[in-house]
Amino acid sequence: MSEPLNKNSKQPGEEPRVKLPEAPPRGYFEGESMTRRHVFTVASQAIGGVAAAAVVLPVVGFAVAPLFTRGEERWEAVGPADDFDAEDYKQVVFTEITGIGEAGKTTAYVRKGSPEYDEDPNEFIAVSTRCAHLGCPVRFVQAAQNFICPCHGGVYDFLGKRIGGPPVRPLDRFQTRVRNGQVELGPRYSVTNQLKAVRVRDPGEFTGGIWEYLYPPRPSTFPPPSN
Amino acid sequence: MKLLPSRKKQSEADGSENGTEEAVAKPTRAERTARAKQLATHHGTQSGIDVAGWVDSRTNATGIFTAMMSRHVPKGTNWFYTLGSATMFIFAMQAITGVFLSMYYTPSATQAYASITHMTNEVFMGEFVRGMHKWGASLMIILIFLHMARTFFFGAYKYPRELNWVIGVVLLILTTVMGLTGYLLPFDQRSFWATIVANNITASGPVVGPYLADFLRAGPDFSATTLSRFYALHMMVVPGLIAALIGAHLFLVVKLGTTAPPWIRAPRPKGARPTEVVPAGVAVEDGDEVPVNGAIPVAGESETTIDEANEAEGEAVDAETPEQTEDVVAPAEAADESAASAGEPGTDVPQAEADADPDARGGAPTDDSGDGEVNS
Repeated sequence: MSEPLNKNSKQPGEEPRVKLPEAPPRGYFEGESMTRRHVFTVASQAIGGVAAAAVVLPVVGFAVAPLFTRGEERWEAVGPADDFDAEDYKQVVFTEITGIGEAGKTTAYVRKGSPEYDEDPNEFIAVSTRCAHLGCPVRFVQAAQNFICPCHGGVYDFLGKRIGGPPVRPLDRFQTRVRNGQVELGPRYSVTNQLKAVRVRDPGEFTGGIWEYLYPPRPSTFPPPSN
Repeated sequence: MKLLPSRKKQSEADGSENGTEEAVAKPTRAERTARAKQLATHHGTQSGIDVAGWVDSRTNATGIFTAMMSRHVPKGTNWFYTLGSATMFIFAMQAITGVFLSMYYTPSATQAYASITHMTNEVFMGEFVRGMHKWGASLMIILIFLHMARTFFFGAYKYPRELNWVIGVVLLILTTVMGLTGYLLPFDQRSFWATIVANNITASGPVVGPYLADFLRAGPDFSATTLSRFYALHMMVVPGLIAALIGAHLFLVVKLGTTAPPWIRAPRPKGARPTEVVPAGVAVEDGDEVPVNGAIPVAGESETTIDEANEAEGEAVDAETPEQTEDVVAPAEAADESAASAGEPGTDVPQAEADADPDARGGAPTDDSGDGEVNS
């Protein structure tokens, strides 16, 4: 009787002499890799997830769609070409955004290109009044020949380049063209400190230097004019 | 089917021992049916239709209400503890006035200002209702900060109430979002330019800023959709989140209880000599460690001692958790050494374990021993 009847019975710390095949865990049937309870749990969670996604995904897409939608390109006549000269700005008001009444109107300062600043005399320059700091409306002060912002004291020179205050870049501009003797203003674009046209950025965002990469281009904006 | 005979046999065996009692206690099927019918028709036939009682018996509304409202509060609770309720009242006021303002408001860029002037100047009590909403917004921000200051200076944000502090901060942020989105709705010059500036500040955030601003404005510029988007956030999204989080905030207040002001001392532990001054910050459990006539109480007794001490001394609770933890552990080690030298490891070991880990008792954590007892 020294040999135990069950060959697999062992003393503590002793390896079983006969390796029996491992029994499947409780609740499993032969050939199954998971319990039926688990299958139903996973399946009902998956179906619930699909149902939730079917509601949430369209709604989220609906809400973020404007990020990827570009509006229609809009041009508006602001006056006969003869009205503008290269020496001084003329103030014009036009509708930049439709559908919101007075709030969609904006002011721009328009003049002819001046050879003094290496500009094409046949082109027109339209400077936006949206301050490059936080978007307050700037005003062109004749006596100083500067654009001055009332909010935080941003100052820009005749070309719209920043010469003082908190703004981080020159004033934005609008694309211009002449149709039927009328000067027309089109989409807005931003400029670098060297007045190179770039895709429009919101106020407060850099257009040059390494800081430019903090503000990636937005698909909702128009590409800049080539110059 | 196999079990039935043996079960029957068992009952027969029991019946043979005390068969008379069994027969009396067990109602027949007919009796049970009659009793059930009587219970079912009781309210209708005998004492009128008691709707409130019926609802209460189905929902346990009274029990829930009692558990929420009839909580014990720590000694020293004062008027500063009403700031949270005041904030919630203002939120309710904002919700109610907001719902009624929306009956006259038109969220359209071309009509919003006209609808605001109409409701302010022409609608009966319009100026008053709109004024409550407008001034209530500022009042809510002020009350939130006062409530936050109370929580901070009373140390009520500490363990185990950190999560409630976090929820409170999220509520503060959501309330400022309400302020931002609500500011645009009158659509006057100030509203418009304030929103322009706020959007541009958002846009100047690095990398995600431009996209975030596009999302808020619903496009590269302020447009007709911006106003309706702000209106939807102000009307639906943010208030829903705030209401849900207030629910969570209150649940945690009820569950964890409130803290005593920091100037309230911990109760004098049972067994401490009357002349002995217990310094602030010493845990209640320290009482167990004070040897009275050389007897060290065992862990099972100490729990009773704490409860008794708290009942005797009121619900004063100490908030200084870190100090407390040190104080709990240190005497346990001291007791360990003394007991070991006395040659009594049997009584000492569970004591040391229980004190080293206050949660091991299954009760509330140290500084909540008072609250834990209250809420049970």
